[in-house]
Amino acid sequence: MLSIQDMHKSFGDVVALDGCTFGVERGSMLGFLGPNGAGKTTAMRSIFGLMRPDSGEVTWDGQPIGLDQRRHFGYMPEQRGLYPKMKVHDQLTYLGRLRGMSTKAAVAAADHWLERFGLSDRATDPLEALSHGNQQRVQLAAALIHDPELLVLDEPFSGLDPIASETMSDILREQAASGKAVVFSSHQLDLVEDLCEEVAIINKGVIVVEGTVRDLKDAAPIRHLELEVDGDATALLESLDGIRSIESDGARHHLVIEAGTDVRGLLVRAQDAGRIRHFSYTAPSLSDLFREAVR
Amino acid sequence: MSDLGIVWQIARRELRERGRSKAYLITSVVTAILVVGLILVPRLLDGGTDQYEVGSIGSSNEAIIEAAELLVNANDEPDAEPSIAIATVGFSDRGQAEAALEERELDAILIDGSEVIVESVGGFGESQILSYLQRGAASVELEAIVAAEGDVAADVIEVMTSDPLETSTLSGQEAGDESRGAIAYAGLLLLYGAVLLYGTWILSGVTEEKTNRVVEVLLSSIKPWQLLAGKILGIGILGIGQFAGTILIAVTTIQLAGIFELPSLNTFAVVNLIVWFILGFLLFAVMFGAGGSLVSRMEDAQNVALPMSMTAVAGFFVALATLSDPDGVAAVVGTFVPLTAPFVVPVRAALDAIPWWQYAAALILTVGTIIGLVFVAGRIYAGGLLRYGGRVKVREAWRSAAE
Repeated sequence: MLSIQDMHKSFGDVVALDGCTFGVERGSMLGFLGPNGAGKTTAMRSIFGLMRPDSGEVTWDGQPIGLDQRRHFGYMPEQRGLYPKMKVHDQLTYLGRLRGMSTKAAVAAADHWLERFGLSDRATDPLEALSHGNQQRVQLAAALIHDPELLVLDEPFSGLDPIASETMSDILREQAASGKAVVFSSHQLDLVEDLCEEVAIINKGVIVVEGTVRDLKDAAPIRHLELEVDGDATALLESLDGIRSIESDGARHHLVIEAGTDVRGLLVRAQDAGRIRHFSYTAPSLSDLFREAVR
Repeated sequence: MSDLGIVWQIARRELRERGRSKAYLITSVVTAILVVGLILVPRLLDGGTDQYEVGSIGSSNEAIIEAAELLVNANDEPDAEPSIAIATVGFSDRGQAEAALEERELDAILIDGSEVIVESVGGFGESQILSYLQRGAASVELEAIVAAEGDVAADVIEVMTSDPLETSTLSGQEAGDESRGAIAYAGLLLLYGAVLLYGTWILSGVTEEKTNRVVEVLLSSIKPWQLLAGKILGIGILGIGQFAGTILIAVTTIQLAGIFELPSLNTFAVVNLIVWFILGFLLFAVMFGAGGSLVSRMEDAQNVALPMSMTAVAGFFVALATLSDPDGVAAVVGTFVPLTAPFVVPVRAALDAIPWWQYAAALILTVGTIIGLVFVAGRIYAGGLLRYGGRVKVREAWRSAAE
């Protein structure tokens, strides 16, 4: 298990991490969310010793992380970077070798991943000859080449088209299912909601929300209610307690209500008011939780 | 993989990628062509016989001209064309001859074997015929003096073209050791060129990894010092290989063209040059590597290189001063300053002008400085690599480096 404990880091006057604590188990996938400048990249870099924290610690299975562990981690930095003029296959093999693989194993792994990404025919091309999307795939392959126990990906979905996003999602799911710990950051909250069981939201260097998506939704203090009836619903809505806001779009009303509000009573009264054309009662989306958390 | 195994992986990548790059192949070929050209072109221009025309008025001139030719050509290789040929043009009137000299149809006028007229003295080359004729005349006179003893012209010429005095030196150099100076100078030029050329390669190679951000991927699984050491090793092998190849081509060309006898080198001279070449290269390579880590763009790399380049230039000039005065103040001071020692010490050693204790002290100081610099530069490198933006200050890089 990866665990980051009470980490602090300042760059001059700018506080990047202010007591950041979170963790991710083997076999699970954590969506690491936060507005720009919240400290996501700094926290991820600390796992790889690319940033020295002012205080706090990072552990893997309870042990402080050294270079030997890091060679079993895969990292895809926010700023993508490989050698532009180096051949794709050579590049992957080289990175595999640096992480301690034998030449034979590294070559086989490079073959495997290039085939998986449909890039086998580009193996001997220099990286710079590939399209942006394909370069991204090679970058992911570079993080996976040595079959890491922990996968840390900074914004892996940025700049990907829907098909490429799909492939990326599949691979991340597979990796988690095969027992790897996976952490990735993203601003595409719908995608994270689909993909992750667990999320952590960081704001101003502190984790403000952490848990499974289901628990977070259950625990949310609000619910969304959508209602459309034939006839006038004004009196009906006025009878409801715990309304935080109402937006009306013709006959359709969007309400944000307190989680404990008696919705069943409303439903019964609505049936009396006229024919119900639409009624929905939902927990807030991850986007809502995110906005609430970083407000 | 062991620490050094990783260093070797990095060096190997440099060797493979850079060694196969067009830039490397082109510079290698161009350098080789340049070197062969520099050796052969003067030879081609210099080849053949220098022709002179001498006006002759009166008698006794033929013997002088003949002796002059013999004397100058006495040093030629057996099969080679003669160095000079002097044609004689007879004149009866001095005015006519002077007019011809004025028109540069003649190079000199000899009168009755006792007087010579040239256009002017002091210019380059022009007065050479004058010295040839003087020597010819001297030999004719000598010949006349010993004429009573029979025909000794050949003996006279032999004596006059030999070095009859046995030469020895206080420093213990053997006669003919003048070539040591040339070797020291050649070694100096090589080191200077290598430092500036391959130092810049290292600098730009380091900056390049920062520019394309691959450094973040690399440093997630290896230590900064391994990256720096691997780069220096890889580029060092390529650079020294290119140099060795160039030297080999130069030596072969000289041998094949038979331009001059290569001085025979003793083991110490060779080891001395190689050891200091490697020390000097390492010293500057480490500094260039640290410099490269401070900037993220190629445009800024030039500015960072300046202090290192200036240090190399300074070392070169101190060493030039050492060549002419190997025991002077500059030479002694340069010996004890580790940044100039790799330039100065091999020159002094090649000239046999350095006490052993100074040599040993310089060696220890320089090796110590390299070790210290590896630590300092390694930390600056580690701190500088992951900081982007403009130019990172050395102090910032030092402080932000992880232990």
